[in-house]
Amino acid sequence: MFEKIFQWLDERLGLEAIYGAVLDRKVPKVNWWFTLGSASLFLFVMQGITGIFLTMYYVPSPDKAYDSIQYIMNGVAFGWLIRGIHHWGASLMVLIVFLHMLRTFFYGAYKYPREITWLTGSLLLLLTLGMGFTGYLLPWNQRAYWATTVGTEIAGTVPGIGDFILRALRGGSDLSAVTLARFFSAHIWLLPLGIVLLISVHMYLIIRLGISNVPGEDE
Amino acid sequence: MNEELKKKYHAKYTAAKQKGVKFWPDIIYKDLLVSFALFILLIGLAAFVGVAAEPKADPNDTAYIPRPEWYFLFLFEALKFVPGAIEWVGTALIPGIAVLALIALPFLDKNPSRYWKNRKIAISVMSVIVLGIVGLTIRAVITTPEQEETTLAGSIAEQVVQGQDLYSIYCAECHQPEGEGGEVVGVEGLEGTFIKPISSQDEMWTRTDQTLFNIIDMGQQDLGMPPYGLGYGGELQRAEIESIVTFMRYTWDERAEIPEDAIVGIPALVEGEVPSYEVHISAVAKRYCVSCHREGKENNEYLMGSYDEILNTGINAGKNVIAGDPDASYLMQTLHRQTVIGSDSNEIGAMPPSKDLKTEYIDMFARWIEAGMPETAAEAAALSTVAAPAEETAEP
Ligand code: HEC
Ligand code: HEC
Ligand code: HEM
Repeated sequence: MFEKIFQWLDERLGLEAIYGAVLDRKVPKVNWWFTLGSASLFLFVMQGITGIFLTMYYVPSPDKAYDSIQYIMNGVAFGWLIRGIHHWGASLMVLIVFLHMLRTFFYGAYKYPREITWLTGSLLLLLTLGMGFTGYLLPWNQRAYWATTVGTEIAGTVPGIGDFILRALRGGSDLSAVTLARFFSAHIWLLPLGIVLLISVHMYLIIRLGISNVPGEDE
Repeated sequence: MNEELKKKYHAKYTAAKQKGVKFWPDIIYKDLLVSFALFILLIGLAAFVGVAAEPKADPNDTAYIPRPEWYFLFLFEALKFVPGAIEWVGTALIPGIAVLALIALPFLDKNPSRYWKNRKIAISVMSVIVLGIVGLTIRAVITTPEQEETTLAGSIAEQVVQGQDLYSIYCAECHQPEGEGGEVVGVEGLEGTFIKPISSQDEMWTRTDQTLFNIIDMGQQDLGMPPYGLGYGGELQRAEIESIVTFMRYTWDERAEIPEDAIVGIPALVEGEVPSYEVHISAVAKRYCVSCHREGKENNEYLMGSYDEILNTGINAGKNVIAGDPDASYLMQTLHRQTVIGSDSNEIGAMPPSKDLKTEYIDMFARWIEAGMPETAAEAAALSTVAAPAEETAEP
């Protein structure tokens, strides 16, 4: 019965071929440092799942944001757990992604033929930091408000175009409802979309090129 | 990289693969194990550390020390080393170059070797950068001053309790402890003004929370109501004003039902029981006296915010409360509205100036002084001729 269903699907989807290309392939024997990349992916998926749950109650307006988080923490069943995971997951993700970058650096894994894997990875690190920066404002508490005030001020000191960047980030000269809407939109649409696209390329390259081996003394 | 080196790489890699393992299950199982460990770690952090509560954003509170996420701290710290005139070097030039260098690394580092001993320059540069980042982060954590603790009132009940305290301190001197208003006595500048009640149903039905908030935030300068919001020169944060409004609404508005755990009663005394500072006197003083008897108010330098202050401050310190002799204590005489001439031969008015304290509270002060001003509940219980009611019920 299952055999039949599988065959029917395989004929149309090519499941065997995918299994052969993605899972059933030989790779060099590697150590535990090589798990950091998949750990980054796992954390991103966790952030996505918990983030989607948070958006069900979170309201991105200066009047309501703080109270909606308060409600998530006290009113929603397991809201504290979801927010706690999202909060700590964000920090952990930055840490793990950074360590993953260091691993690939110290093993020289960015060299031929994996240059583009590094390139997409470095953009992923920047986008992850962007997620952290935009997410930090969302709870609309003192910490969030003042960190973002100073953060956007720093962006405003770029010579020539600083003022433009500042206004583009804040949606005006001051932090306001527009800023919050902007950060929220970037945090749940723009940046995650960019991350998903880049991760796809990143993964495709990893499967195509295979994971690098631990370099020996003559390499 | 020339063709020959590329060929060499491919040969090496194929050999490594030959000696290698299957992605499924050998690699996947390690990945899953690590991810699972991180998952447990996250749940642990969420459950046992949680997310620190923070007060709501207050654009007027410019004294707040900004603290970015920990992973941006090193940037903040690095900026402190850049002189203001060339700030843009630290904020734009160096980070810009660093980001570009990071992205373009494979094209900048042309050394074909991958083993660390053959890449001394690259490894050293990166190590210095990473150590720098870690060092700056640690420095930032150490040098950033602690944020002043602000008490956070989360639930309605907590807000009501916090609002009650704030109201007693900031508002009661003019509006009276129960918001009943009346003639202002003992307040500079408003002596003799009549204030309408702010706890009446008229007031509660015609004023929304937002209106009340605005009145407290901005004041009513022309009528004599001072502004309390930080943005208008006052000293209360938004969250604190919100607590006062919540307190007013839940305590005075007949339509709002006050949560059980928010009722801050002053425990009544039974026959023979001796009151303590901890349980009784501090509560009465907070509600009826501290609004005037605190720093920065006219009060003969008599502060009533703590046990020590009640005993030892004031220009008539020593005579205000005399252990075992309530009748001679100035405090009792002022409560009984007797004329008292202080050591500076000025007259001390009746306390609280505008109207009598409830007799049960006057009696409470009298019994407390009579018994020698016990501080803790335990000391008071030892002096009592009956066990305090709370302890009676605590016995099985
Ligand atoms: C220095 C004396 C003073 C203090 C202290 C003070 N007020 Fe007032 N308040 C006034 C005066 C005077 C008015 C004008 C009321 C009137 O004309 O009857 C007023 C008016 C108000 C009103 C508006 C009444 C209305 O509906 O028009 C509210 C509400 C109020 N005060 C609340 C507070 C609160 C809450 C506090 C404590 C944070 C406070 N006040 C502290 C003097 C004071
Ligand atoms: C509306 C403001 C106000 C309130 C409320 C108030 N006081 Fe006073 N109190 C004063 C002022 C002002 C003085 C200074 C003497 C004077 O001008 O009458 C004073 C002086 C005193 C003194 C004399 C201190 C000394 O060393 O000379 C005592 C005792 C005292 N108050 C007790 C109390 C007690 C107890 C309460 C609470 C039940 C209370 N007061 C509430 C304003 C107030
Ligand atoms: C790379 C992945 C992500 C990172 C690094 C990240 C990071 C953050 C950070 C740092 C915060 C502030 C949390 C706090 O201080 O409590 C936050 C909040 C939030 N995020 Fe994300 N996030 C990610 C993905 C997502 C996704 C995919 C969504 C939704 C589709 C999402 C929705 C939210 C919402 C609604 C909040 C506000 C709730 C809160 O502050 O607790 N996030 N995020």
